[in-house]
Amino acid sequence: MRAAHGWVPRAVWLRAALVVWLPALGALPADARPDPPARSYYVYVCAESEDEVALVRYGPRGLEVVRRVAVGRYPAETEGPHGIAVDPDGRHWYVSIAHGTPFGSVHKYATGSDAWVGDVTLGMYPATLDIAPATRLLYAANFDLHGPMAASSVSAVEIDTMEEIARVETGVMPHGSRLSRDGMRHYSVTMMDGELVELDALGFEVNRRLPLGDGVQPTWVTAPARDGVVYVTGNNVASVFEVDLDAWRIRRTFRTGAGPYNLAVTPDGSTLVATYKSGDAVGFWDLATGVERARVSTTRTIPHGVVVTPDGAYAFVSVEGVGDDPGTVEVYNIPTAERLGAVDIGKQASGIAFWTVRDE
Amino acid sequence: MTGMRFVWVVLVLWCIPAAAQPPATEPPAAELTVEVEPPALTLDVGGTVRLAATVRDPSGAVVEDAVVVFYSRARRSVSVTRSGTVEAYRPGEFTLVALVPADPDDRSRRPAGMARVEVPVTVPQPPVERVRFTGIPARFYVGTHPRLGVEVVDTSGARRHDVDIEYSSGEPAIAEIDPYGSLLLHQPGSVTLSVAAGQATDAITIEVEQNPVASLALQATAETVRTGDVVVFTAVARDARGLPVRSVPVEFSVAGQTAPEILAAGAAAMVTGEGRFVAERSGTFTVVATAGRHAARRTVSVRRRDVGREVELIGRAPVRDRRTSDLWVWEGTDGRDYAITGTWGSDGSSYIWDVTDPSDIRKLREIQVDARTVNDVKVSEEGDIAVISREGASDRKNGIVILGVANPREGVPVLAEYTEALTGGVHNVFISEGHVFALSAGRRYEVINIEDPTEPRRVGQFEIDTLGHSIHDVWVSEGVAFSSNWSDGVVAVDVGGGGRGGTPERPVELGRYTYPSGWNHAAFPYTSPSTGKRYLFAGDEAFPYAGLSRGRGGTPIIAAGWIHVIDWSDWERPREVARYQVPEAGSHNLWVENDTLYVGYYNGGLRVVDVSGELLGDLYAQGREIARFLPFDPEAFTANAPFVWGAQPFKGHIFFTDWNSGLWAVRLLPKTGPGRVIGEPQ
Repeated sequence: MRAAHGWVPRAVWLRAALVVWLPALGALPADARPDPPARSYYVYVCAESEDEVALVRYGPRGLEVVRRVAVGRYPAETEGPHGIAVDPDGRHWYVSIAHGTPFGSVHKYATGSDAWVGDVTLGMYPATLDIAPATRLLYAANFDLHGPMAASSVSAVEIDTMEEIARVETGVMPHGSRLSRDGMRHYSVTMMDGELVELDALGFEVNRRLPLGDGVQPTWVTAPARDGVVYVTGNNVASVFEVDLDAWRIRRTFRTGAGPYNLAVTPDGSTLVATYKSGDAVGFWDLATGVERARVSTTRTIPHGVVVTPDGAYAFVSVEGVGDDPGTVEVYNIPTAERLGAVDIGKQASGIAFWTVRDE
Repeated sequence: MTGMRFVWVVLVLWCIPAAAQPPATEPPAAELTVEVEPPALTLDVGGTVRLAATVRDPSGAVVEDAVVVFYSRARRSVSVTRSGTVEAYRPGEFTLVALVPADPDDRSRRPAGMARVEVPVTVPQPPVERVRFTGIPARFYVGTHPRLGVEVVDTSGARRHDVDIEYSSGEPAIAEIDPYGSLLLHQPGSVTLSVAAGQATDAITIEVEQNPVASLALQATAETVRTGDVVVFTAVARDARGLPVRSVPVEFSVAGQTAPEILAAGAAAMVTGEGRFVAERSGTFTVVATAGRHAARRTVSVRRRDVGREVELIGRAPVRDRRTSDLWVWEGTDGRDYAITGTWGSDGSSYIWDVTDPSDIRKLREIQVDARTVNDVKVSEEGDIAVISREGASDRKNGIVILGVANPREGVPVLAEYTEALTGGVHNVFISEGHVFALSAGRRYEVINIEDPTEPRRVGQFEIDTLGHSIHDVWVSEGVAFSSNWSDGVVAVDVGGGGRGGTPERPVELGRYTYPSGWNHAAFPYTSPSTGKRYLFAGDEAFPYAGLSRGRGGTPIIAAGWIHVIDWSDWERPREVARYQVPEAGSHNLWVENDTLYVGYYNGGLRVVDVSGELLGDLYAQGREIARFLPFDPEAFTANAPFVWGAQPFKGHIFFTDWNSGLWAVRLLPKTGPGRVIGEPQ
């Protein structure tokens, strides 16, 4: 059993013991699984080595690929769609294209038709994206994964015009990009500086930096929860840090599976879902107790992204695979940590974003 | 698709956008408005001003504590601080924005309350500071038409090409000057010429001399040529004593008649200002040289180049389940011939083939590495070491893999994997004299010593210094590395043979050549044996036509771009002199050998081109194309969609790879009679 550092009540241990270690759930026979939902949930998922974005639906007919959309500019070069976000009003999706000549870009598409609308060139290897509903500004971390160990940046883009309006230097290999609900603060991490960075998102400058520990390589930060905390991965130290934003310090540390990479928190703040990139598993953490209540092996190697649905019912996970493996999208029941389905998309599934849920 | 399924899909597609809309029951929120003073700006470069924003609620009352954010949609031209201070940097029309964020407690997908107003900013062009004549000839002669240049600089120091210029002559009876700066010199005398740009002016006084030319003769290096052959015309002006007059400007022009069977030929020949003539069509053409009132002419007879040959398919090794990338063909140490091919967007495989008998190509080995694309494959001069590039490795470390290929029939051992400084993916490599030149992250090339191929070590690197530079390919020939750098063009670097002290450890740049499209993708150096000119064939890669179709069963991809021929005989003065451009297709990798250019021309197939002699103008139009071969394959990854990646001549055959269908071997058939030339009478 894994738990956050600190005292854990016996009752919590016992309760957690009932549900923890559920790798077998992922292999439940189809007839043992709950019925598919009556409503359909849609997510967009990048296939980084296919230069595609897939629209995936989980609904009454199970998990299925609705459409695969070719993205990029060069059919004979691999350009690497990495991060993806859906407009707060659901009308457009945005994908970061890592490679260019040399700069990467973010492209805008209409949801539904998946027609290309526009693009903007940003920095080196733009990766994670997030959009503030309150300002309609998009923030992209210019990861610069393969560049020299020099500081890179976070770009701010006005999504209606696809103009880059600011670029803020944050540190070496910025990744993760999440905003406060009011759009006033932006959070990212600097993988090779080992810091959580808070931006004044409207003043376009760094507010605060929080060192996460010697040698820690963070890869992700969640959006601030209502109780004023964010969760940050320590990818190389198999940890997730709970950071108190008011106190600006690490409050709890969760020991996780190997290589925690992306995170998502349910809207009610009760559960943290983590992909373990080098552990080939997905972890489900009870945030009240700080206990990992389940860890489920993925169907392929190298899980990457995770997004939870707004109702907190499901988590969609992207899994990269290796070589010619297709990428895979898996869907999990969050309360039970049961894998409900898996479907293949293009190679190296990566960034994933929720679009909509509808009755059909 | 059945009719019912089609209806279902249509319904789903129709419903999907609607699902994203906010619910109709969402209550309307109070809308704020924001006003900015001043509502529009005109600022000079360097000028500043402070904006003031006022936010009002629906009743018109001022909201005192409202958050207002200012930003610029063109921050490199005009900036605005959070407090609203604006500063202009560059001329143009721009937009600033004042934004009031929406209510953060509104949890709907389109929260109400956000207000935004645009503030247009006009930054006028700076006034012209100075204008001056340039390129002024040393002497001016009656009857000639020299053209003067002009340089216009504004107060910011920028050279301007968008300013109206007015010329005038103080004595039109002596010299007139037209709106383009060309002089008409009527009689001897002194005349002042003026130019005005904005409020700036310049003036020069020239002395127009009597034209000393008493005779003009025209010499030509040939009178009967083929299309594409360059004829050099030399005009010799002499004075009344018969002495040469070298300072008199001579103008060349050409007119003529194409062969009678060629109708509506269009422009069929050209002559440069230096007197270099080349024809694209057969016929008779007259070059006229003029120097003042004197003219001389010579006529050249041009016949069809007639170099076309048929192509015979000898053999092939189909690869239909995945894309094929580059190839290299070599003779192994066992005396047999081999080829290595890479794969693209797949499982990191590369294949070794026995091509000793090109009509019976046999696959010997499959080498799989952790990658999704092996974009490039190269083999050492000795034929014992191969290097393959990796992109899409699962650990994102990529790098290169060094293989022992001395005798592939006995085995192809992996001698080393090397990723240091190469994690961003290696797109192209080259091997030269015990060193690998490997691209890194599309930014530079690393030089790796592989004299001990089991212990590769990085010894040098080269990276250009322009803002936003990028690199796509590198090719090394006789100790000079030619990198292809998209918008930064081709860069020649001495790595041991350039004569400027360069080594693999300490590369020294020799020169660079850039062209406007920014499509530079590959390069191949070639010294013409008949002219001694050092040419650089620079290939484009471009996909300006809409549509991406990578998946199996997709539609053919249409590329663009061409081969630029650069005369780089002088490292300091590269000159683009010719092009080989196939309409509606796009160039990719290329090879030049024995006065013949072999190009993988993507959807244009394999192209073989005669590049003998001096090269000038449009080589395709001149009928220099020897052969074309389009590898149609109905069972290919994309059926019947030629997409030739690259070609290599080898022991009388031409091997090439096609992205959709694998490895092919063809040969040119002996010429047996007049070949067909589309557009010429048969």
